Amino acid sequence: MHFTLPGCLGPYYSRIVVDVGIAMILAVSLNIVNGMTGQFSIGHAGFMTVGGYAAGLLTFYGSHWLWGAAGKHGGFLGSGEWMYAASCVVGGLAAAGAGYIVGLPSLRLRGDYLAIVTLGFGEILRVVLQQTGKVLDDPAAIQSWNWSQVLPLPVGGAIGFDGIPKYTSVFWVYTFLTITVVVAYRLKYSGIGRAMISVREDEIAAQAMGVNTSRQKVLAFVMAAFFAGIAGGLFAHESGVIISPKDAGFQRSFDYVIMAVLGGRGSVSGVMLAAMILTSLPEMLRDFEQYRLIVYALLLILMMLVRPQGLFGIHEVWHYFPRWVASASRRKAP
Amino acid sequence: MGCLRFKEESSVTDLVSKTQYRDRRLPTEAVVPLLDVDQIGISFGGLKAVQQFSLRLPRTALYGLIGPNGAGKTTVFNLLTGVYRPDCGRMRIGEQNLLGRKPHEITAAGIARTFQNIRLFPNLSVLDNVRLAGQIRNTHGLADTLLRTPRYRLQEDLLYHKGMELLSIFDLQNRARALANSLSYGHQRRLEIVRALATEPQVLLLDEPAAGLNPQEKRALAQSIQEIRARFQVAILLIEHDMSLVMDICERIVVLDHGVTICEGTPAMVQNDSAVIAAYLGSSPTDN
Repeated sequence: MHFTLPGCLGPYYSRIVVDVGIAMILAVSLNIVNGMTGQFSIGHAGFMTVGGYAAGLLTFYGSHWLWGAAGKHGGFLGSGEWMYAASCVVGGLAAAGAGYIVGLPSLRLRGDYLAIVTLGFGEILRVVLQQTGKVLDDPAAIQSWNWSQVLPLPVGGAIGFDGIPKYTSVFWVYTFLTITVVVAYRLKYSGIGRAMISVREDEIAAQAMGVNTSRQKVLAFVMAAFFAGIAGGLFAHESGVIISPKDAGFQRSFDYVIMAVLGGRGSVSGVMLAAMILTSLPEMLRDFEQYRLIVYALLLILMMLVRPQGLFGIHEVWHYFPRWVASASRRKAP
Repeated sequence: MGCLRFKEESSVTDLVSKTQYRDRRLPTEAVVPLLDVDQIGISFGGLKAVQQFSLRLPRTALYGLIGPNGAGKTTVFNLLTGVYRPDCGRMRIGEQNLLGRKPHEITAAGIARTFQNIRLFPNLSVLDNVRLAGQIRNTHGLADTLLRTPRYRLQEDLLYHKGMELLSIFDLQNRARALANSLSYGHQRRLEIVRALATEPQVLLLDEPAAGLNPQEKRALAQSIQEIRARFQVAILLIEHDMSLVMDICERIVVLDHGVTICEGTPAMVQNDSAVIAAYLGSSPTDN
């Protein structure tokens, strides 16, 4: 897939395929906290950006340190790619840490109030990232590195973190997407998933049935942030992308919220479908890009009126298949 | 068992009991209580919702908690289950202290409840409602869940069978895959009890289980409450407005009014207590 797909589709379409994959990771992970646990978070792009900057910082300065330049190093599955994959995971861990901190207020706040806290997280992050220092991109500057340059972090300030090696490919995006989907799916059909959904359905009853609701909520935030951070790492290394502070802002967060809401609260496959449609549609309708947000808003209003539970509600896509397909898949699913 | 113990101790306690408690002679009093609540109370601002509430609930006892509307019965349940934190008093189950514990810890310690206004998880299936409650006894963690380890599979399998067994005891097994909000009202009430039992409680708190049921269903409920007690060996504390139900099945009854315990005793005693009659029917001027 890694070699054939870009060859068949050309750079434009393989770029869209990568974008769709990243959006799916973000939407599926957001769905863990928004859809399953019912904690309305609109700071998901913030977690993504934390991961993206952390991963970019590692590969950019790591490449300089190891190989003297920030370009790509090694071929497919070469040393450079492994560093990139590891840095994405580290980005995920950094985002998970942020998720833990943002998850704590969710123990006391709910609904709109929590949404505002998560919104604030993204916006604060955006402003903080704007205050960072210039990227140290020539070898001489990196040679004469000293501790005084660590703060503010040299990640490019308002113009974005330019020069991150562009490792992201269809292979890596869909590898991480597979992991994300398997985790989300296994989570949904497990005791932990039931506990998360019970928090969404009725928090008081959940407590009375022995669910540690605080733990479930924080766990949901941490898991969602972890995968958002990985997606951020993939995003930061995507060719044609310069990750910048505005990526942490609420507009991007809102894109993912729409995917999660449109797909259905807790439906992994439904959310993937929504992410695919909403990421590829603007590309197909490039001429109307300006009206994208208007269409989104109208789409949301329409959804809330006609199908408030989202396209698939809590069901998966295959629950809507004809009976003979469903009976075949049910045998596998618990 | 309780009766035997009583016979041994009766001679010793006889003298004391006559002077202190009218009803000390009941066998249940002589054994160590399972749920021991001593003088708990809570006030919201200036309103003393429950004051000095005490209860000694022996193993597999069936007690009733009654009182006029607003007497504080549900508040007592909320105190016992940790939804509210008592301002004062002591609360223990067996040897475990319950005071100041979180609701899920109290459930784990062995107290389960149903809700007056049904609080099922509407978008979970009937089986999942039961499994959610049952999984409190599971010990696998996040890694087990994601990797689907043998331990996870074993515990989930057991949970599935336990859930189905419970549902079939209460004749809900045919609806196991239906969503909880698609059940009829009577079935939803029944599922609430099943869900509470799935946590493997020692004490079951039933908050108006007969509300909204027709006379036939009430009779069936009265029977099934007694069967639950015998089968699952739980002590039951029952809030109910239907007096005939309470008087029929409860061994002892606690009467609350304005947050204060005004009477405690056997159904016959409670029915003839002047304070209880006054609380329900109002007192005549001559009584004051």
